[in-house]
Amino acid sequence: MIFGYLVATGITTGALYALVALGITIVYKATHSVNFAHGDLFMICGFIAYTFHVMWGLPYLPSLVLAVIAGFAIGAVVERVAFRPLMGQGIVSILLATIGLSFVLKGIARGLWGGKGDFIPFPPVMSPQPISLAGILVTPQQLIVFAGAIAVMLLFAVLFKFTKLGRMMQATADNTKAAKLVGIRVGRVYMYTFAVGTAVAGAAAVLMAPITLLYPDIGFVLFIKSFAAAVLGGLTSIPGAVAGGFLIGLIETLTGGYISTNLQDVSSYIVIMFVLVFMPSGLFGGPALRRI
Amino acid sequence: MRAVFGNRQFLALLFAALAIVPWVANPYILYIANLALLYIILAVGLNILVGYAGQFALANAAMFGIGAYGTGLLQVKLGVPYLLAAPGGAILAMLIGTVMAFPALRLSGVYLGLSTLSFAMLTQWVLLHWKSVTFGGGGFPVPQLDLGPLPIGPDLGIFYLSWLVALALVIFAWSLLRSRIGRALVAIRDGEVGAQSLGINLLHFKALAFATSGFYAGAAGALYAPLLGYISPEGFDLFQMIIQKSMIVVGGMGSIMGSVIGATVMVVVLELLREFKSTQEIVFGGILIAFVLFRPRGIVTLFKRLPGWEEPLSSFDPGRLPRPASVVDPAAAPASTIGGNLLGEERR
Repeated sequence: MIFGYLVATGITTGALYALVALGITIVYKATHSVNFAHGDLFMICGFIAYTFHVMWGLPYLPSLVLAVIAGFAIGAVVERVAFRPLMGQGIVSILLATIGLSFVLKGIARGLWGGKGDFIPFPPVMSPQPISLAGILVTPQQLIVFAGAIAVMLLFAVLFKFTKLGRMMQATADNTKAAKLVGIRVGRVYMYTFAVGTAVAGAAAVLMAPITLLYPDIGFVLFIKSFAAAVLGGLTSIPGAVAGGFLIGLIETLTGGYISTNLQDVSSYIVIMFVLVFMPSGLFGGPALRRI
Repeated sequence: MRAVFGNRQFLALLFAALAIVPWVANPYILYIANLALLYIILAVGLNILVGYAGQFALANAAMFGIGAYGTGLLQVKLGVPYLLAAPGGAILAMLIGTVMAFPALRLSGVYLGLSTLSFAMLTQWVLLHWKSVTFGGGGFPVPQLDLGPLPIGPDLGIFYLSWLVALALVIFAWSLLRSRIGRALVAIRDGEVGAQSLGINLLHFKALAFATSGFYAGAAGALYAPLLGYISPEGFDLFQMIIQKSMIVVGGMGSIMGSVIGATVMVVVLELLREFKSTQEIVFGGILIAFVLFRPRGIVTLFKRLPGWEEPLSSFDPGRLPRPASVVDPAAAPASTIGGNLLGEERR
């Protein structure tokens, strides 16, 4: 009974980690760097939806769409500010710039929407009354999150596999030089990659906000957990990132349920350290490249 | 030509000025000066690891915390006198820092950053939850500094102790980096395979860099405990990490003097914005971005124009490094897109 409940919760949170991990993975695939501000972009999108939905009274769905559009735009700006100018300067500069950006975003959110440690409630879309599904108690909100996450994943898959932009993204990630040679404007593809990644994170934020709460420090926590998911998936595999997200969600809730709730957060740190040191290509990654 | 004013004179002048602070300033300014001394130690230690050895580690704030907690807990729990507890805390941080060199043997760049960051988060979690030892989130008071027979109060005592330790550690770092060891660290930064082919043992030198940096952070922590009189996990969180990172970037990566300058400047900025957490975050993040974008080699480049200014070894200058080749497939590795991946391989 408790097991079924934990699995349902784990899959729901896992779906969100999967969405955020998706963004981390596509950015890593295209640019070979990690956007440390990814979690804070997630948080900002959540607050933007909060502004539309709670403060200005728009319905949930339009707020979600607006937050996703805002995420797309912010992601594009981030690429122009913290990534493009540093492309020739090595990975450390890019990492430092995105770390700086993550704090700027945190500070802005703290200044605009809440003081230190303020948790902002986001009204649920449906009644919080749990329903029984094949003997397992779930809340309708969890079902919405799960369905929404799957829908976003499918949309993303369609974009990535069947549109021209998606194919350009794949080509750039595969082989940047060859992509340049056939006339793909690689810089622009990077921008779209950041933008799409942030938009997906934005969707995740709006789906998640009614279950957890919003607070300025949520971004970093989510970034670390989703990075653990992406790393489990090998950091270069999109299906791997999704599977990793679900796995981290399950690991987390099961540790929380059976061992101690205190250990819930730690499990992802341990996963990162363990996976990076002992199997750096993750569960789904290909053979590791070694570059000199 | 004998230099009239160079880095040595600058350092001497700075430390002389700091030494007379207690006579001319009020207790608040004294506290800021003391904080600056601690951050000088932290920034120099971090720069040895990140700027010279090229190891993108993000656990320095945790090492700082381990030093402070080690010192405080030895005093409170075991009744060890401060002058023994402080080296104990620093050495504990050094040992834990050394252990981190093992993952660093296999990882670099993004991977090293994230695994050390996870370690820092884990440390934070232990400080919060291992209540029977660390007193949990509330923290605990540390006894005042008592220098025994010396006729000196606790505030002045900790100030001059910090002054002495900071001066010694800056000079030590200076000499270390001018030696064979410093050259080996820079060789590792500029290309691990090349360094190995010169007979540099990666494990030894990476462990050395992590140990030195851990010791510096631990020493700063050991001084921080009695300065504040109270330790809690909050002081060693992510924000602490960005404070230290922005110091070495503002001062200049791969420059000892740069760390000294960066630490002094940023402590003042930090104190000016003390009231507002969100402004602090925006300003420190913004400064970090601005320097990475527009002055990647830090303020120290201004000082380098002085005729007598010299630095041991070249500073961090990605632009001048040759672009690496790939052993896998020259076309497949996007070396050109992120410009020569200068921290060696991303992963093995």
